[in-house]
Amino acid sequence: MGEDHVMTWHSRHDLPWLLAFVLPAFVIVVAVQFYPLAYSALLSVQEWSLTESQEPQGFVGLDNFRAELGDSTFQRSVRNSIVITGGAVILEMLLGVCLAYLTMGSSWRMRAVRTLLILPMVIAPVAAGTLWRILLNSRAGLVNHLLSAIGVQGPEWLASSDWALVSVILLDTWQWTPFVLLVAGAAIASIPTDLLEVAAIDGASRWRTFLHVELPLLLPLLLLTLVFRMLESLLSLDSIYSLTFGGPGFSTYTLTFYIYTQGLRNFNFGAAAASSWIFMAFASLSIWLAFRFQRRDW
Amino acid sequence: MKKVWLLLLIATLLLPAGALAQDMPHAGVEIVATYMQSGTYDVGAENIEEAFEDATGIELELVASPWAVLNQNHITDLTTGTGEFDVMSGEFWIASVYDKMLPLDDLVARDSFGGDYIPTIWQPGPSGYFDGKRIGIPYSADAYGIVYRTDIFEEAGVSADWETWDDYFAALDKLAMHLEGTDIAPSVFSWGASEQTPAIFLGMYDGYLVDADGNYALDEESALAALNQMASLLDYNPEGAAGLSIDESNAVFLTGKSATMICWVSFMRASAQNPDASLVVDNWAVAPFPGPGFPFLSAWNLFISEYSENPEAAWEWVKYYINPEQSTQRFVELGVGSPYLSTYEDPELMEAYSHDFPGMVANLSRAQSVPWVFEAFEIFFRNTSELVIGSISVEEALANTLAGWADVTVPPALVQSAAAQGQQQDM
Amino acid sequence: MSRNKSLSQQILALLRLLILAIACLAVLAPLAYLVINSIKLPREFLTVPPTILPTEVTFQHYEELIDDSKTIRYFRNSLTVALWTTAITILSGTLAAYGLARMRLAARFLALITFLFLFIRFYPRVTTVIPFFLVMRELDLLDTVWAIIIGQLGITIPFVTWLMLVVFQDLPAEIEEAAIVDGASIWQRFWRVVLPIVMPSVSAAAILTAFLSWNEFLIASSVARRKASVLSIAVASFVSDKGIQWGPMAAMSVVMIVPMIIFALFAQKYLIRGITFGAVKG
Repeated sequence: MGEDHVMTWHSRHDLPWLLAFVLPAFVIVVAVQFYPLAYSALLSVQEWSLTESQEPQGFVGLDNFRAELGDSTFQRSVRNSIVITGGAVILEMLLGVCLAYLTMGSSWRMRAVRTLLILPMVIAPVAAGTLWRILLNSRAGLVNHLLSAIGVQGPEWLASSDWALVSVILLDTWQWTPFVLLVAGAAIASIPTDLLEVAAIDGASRWRTFLHVELPLLLPLLLLTLVFRMLESLLSLDSIYSLTFGGPGFSTYTLTFYIYTQGLRNFNFGAAAASSWIFMAFASLSIWLAFRFQRRDW
Repeated sequence: MKKVWLLLLIATLLLPAGALAQDMPHAGVEIVATYMQSGTYDVGAENIEEAFEDATGIELELVASPWAVLNQNHITDLTTGTGEFDVMSGEFWIASVYDKMLPLDDLVARDSFGGDYIPTIWQPGPSGYFDGKRIGIPYSADAYGIVYRTDIFEEAGVSADWETWDDYFAALDKLAMHLEGTDIAPSVFSWGASEQTPAIFLGMYDGYLVDADGNYALDEESALAALNQMASLLDYNPEGAAGLSIDESNAVFLTGKSATMICWVSFMRASAQNPDASLVVDNWAVAPFPGPGFPFLSAWNLFISEYSENPEAAWEWVKYYINPEQSTQRFVELGVGSPYLSTYEDPELMEAYSHDFPGMVANLSRAQSVPWVFEAFEIFFRNTSELVIGSISVEEALANTLAGWADVTVPPALVQSAAAQGQQQDM
Repeated sequence: MSRNKSLSQQILALLRLLILAIACLAVLAPLAYLVINSIKLPREFLTVPPTILPTEVTFQHYEELIDDSKTIRYFRNSLTVALWTTAITILSGTLAAYGLARMRLAARFLALITFLFLFIRFYPRVTTVIPFFLVMRELDLLDTVWAIIIGQLGITIPFVTWLMLVVFQDLPAEIEEAAIVDGASIWQRFWRVVLPIVMPSVSAAAILTAFLSWNEFLIASSVARRKASVLSIAVASFVSDKGIQWGPMAAMSVVMIVPMIIFALFAQKYLIRGITFGAVKG
């Protein structure tokens, strides 16, 4: 009772400070990004294609949205995005958490291994995409060369619809599993060791300790990582740009690549803004779901 | 006394400055020019930057960016009226902002600029035009061609004098027989660089690109024939050709694994004669590009922005960068295709490039640029790429393309370009 | 019984080693190939089969980079951008998260603020390139590293704020209560009590922010043309319509990786220190 009273009094007393803590971040993020977002919201209900006019050509209501949702390339992009992001994120979460556990410890060896394992994240996505393009090349690629050394005939990675999707998943997983490893590793490191010790004294097996003690503690952060990876992967452009350029044909057109094409290559500003808002509707749903799971009281 | 000396001193200091000002009407003016970062056009500009500044007193700043960034920067700059760039590099794909470019007819006439060009390059289409006025000055010219192995052709008793694609296919059949049992393919092309596939189609297609009403269209019968022929070309390519990029396709030819290659000649010319990079030195030549269609043309233009505060100074740079001497030099040093006839008539060069020039000039003089905005271009090459990997049929590829084009408007500048090059359907 | 257990433990240890070895190989092989490419002669790039060990080692690609005065400028700009972005992000993001976590806001309101942040974070940047360009022009920041930094902050601050918010919310309230009773001010509590415990997460966030900022391409390419150009644009510029300049691009990529490795090693030290702190306090 008494302590509760102390805490409440203090948070009231601290409120100005706490507000001051939040303010800089809030100002930078909202102030600078607000206008671009409002502008793009305005564009999404206007007809504006640069090839037809230098100025927006007037209010068209929800026509842009209707046209985008009905567009076959848009629909295919959504399908591709789901396949790529779904595949990549599941792989990344599983691999990342496993590796985080396997590399626990503060010996120099484990530190070195951890540092090594997060390296793919350091490479500029454009460079990573181009690197994998030589690795996956069906004629002169290292991957198929190594596969043939063990007697496997490698597929035409980048010249077939299905394998091109696999290639993109592979690249995403290679580059971003380290992200999960890093965040999960930090989360695991933050679990108070006495909790684990208590569990060990109680005679719980390692697996049960993980399931009943650690996992519930890790869950909020893992969920956050999952949603972040999901949205990041949906948003990623550089790697597709340099690995497949959306091809062959429309095989690896993702939603983001589609928006990029509409906006910065074809300069259909209205259509690009509308597809961006459709994208955000979906992203918002994911964020909201993550909130639901993270804090049951929300 | 001292004052007089001082005055004299000032006068002598001012005198040359005054004289300078007469020779250099733009001294001290700052201009910004853009290029694509490619190690060729941009390096050519950097090489003469200092000489230009010394000669004119103009302070030139060069901005080189990757292709996509270059266009994005141009469009952003022009649609927001920022005016950061005075001189811009581009081609037909920025036609949507052609109305923001300065008409250059008066300057061209005043300085009697433009002689000696390969005639087709100086025409609307390859040269940027808006509303009947010239806005672009071409500084490069490259046409699609077919390079072939002279030694293999001789052994097989085949000659590279085809006029139509049927002739070319007949030659490939003979080559295939001759090369049976080797790992050398009759032909190779960068099918994996899907934005290149239109070059083949345009060579095979005999019809219009813009209909009488000024919309993107194709003559369906002729387009189907061309697409079918294009798909059958794959049979003459090496295993896995559907994934080849430009580099990789070049590597196939340069390592001697194909008898012919359909390509941009300027992309392989320098490496093909470099013993460090090529196994076919002196064993190749440029053949004519078959008809009934035309060889795809790439001709970079310099434009002057309407928002430029110093259009005269900008024009000085255009003249300094684009002229027969500079173009020839860029060809020799950097492999950039020259838009000037004199480059190809230079006796010394004619001898050094005897395997290259005759075919090249023939192709350049027939070459045309396409009237496609990027969106139209993309719809076309994505669908042909689907065709190449076998996902859709020839009919579907055509139907999808035409359906996609229905929503794309042809900018007036490109309707004019199509009309000028005979690519528009007859009224 | 006990021998059995130690045997199964040995097998598990061996399995762990094996999995880690495979993971390291999967990470290292492509990276090694990148390094090899940076010292290969041009003619050995697209050979069939691929050239794994070059016949001749060349440093020409690195020499070209060093000789080009622009490389130094790109490098300096990238470093400036990454340092400022990381510093500002970690400082303001951690503070904001702490503030939000301790404000005892109605849960719905807190959710709304977080949501707003994330919405801004994940809106496709492609669509806001032109309006953002206009904002920067009005602020007279075009072609400066600050335009890039501000643009990136819009991405990194929401990320770090959310990450740290989750961390702070999971922190048991008892940890601070003792300090409150001792009469410590909010600053003292934050610096002396809370921060040391969450240090592993802060350093992880710092590593992620630095990497993101170092590699970011779209924002940089839309507001920086000349003076403020950065390394990620330089890497992209080796991919042109003529094909790819493999050697210089590989060399540039290697140059780009080195500072980040150093940074990761440095931040890892704090990650470890944080763990020991956590053990003492918790």
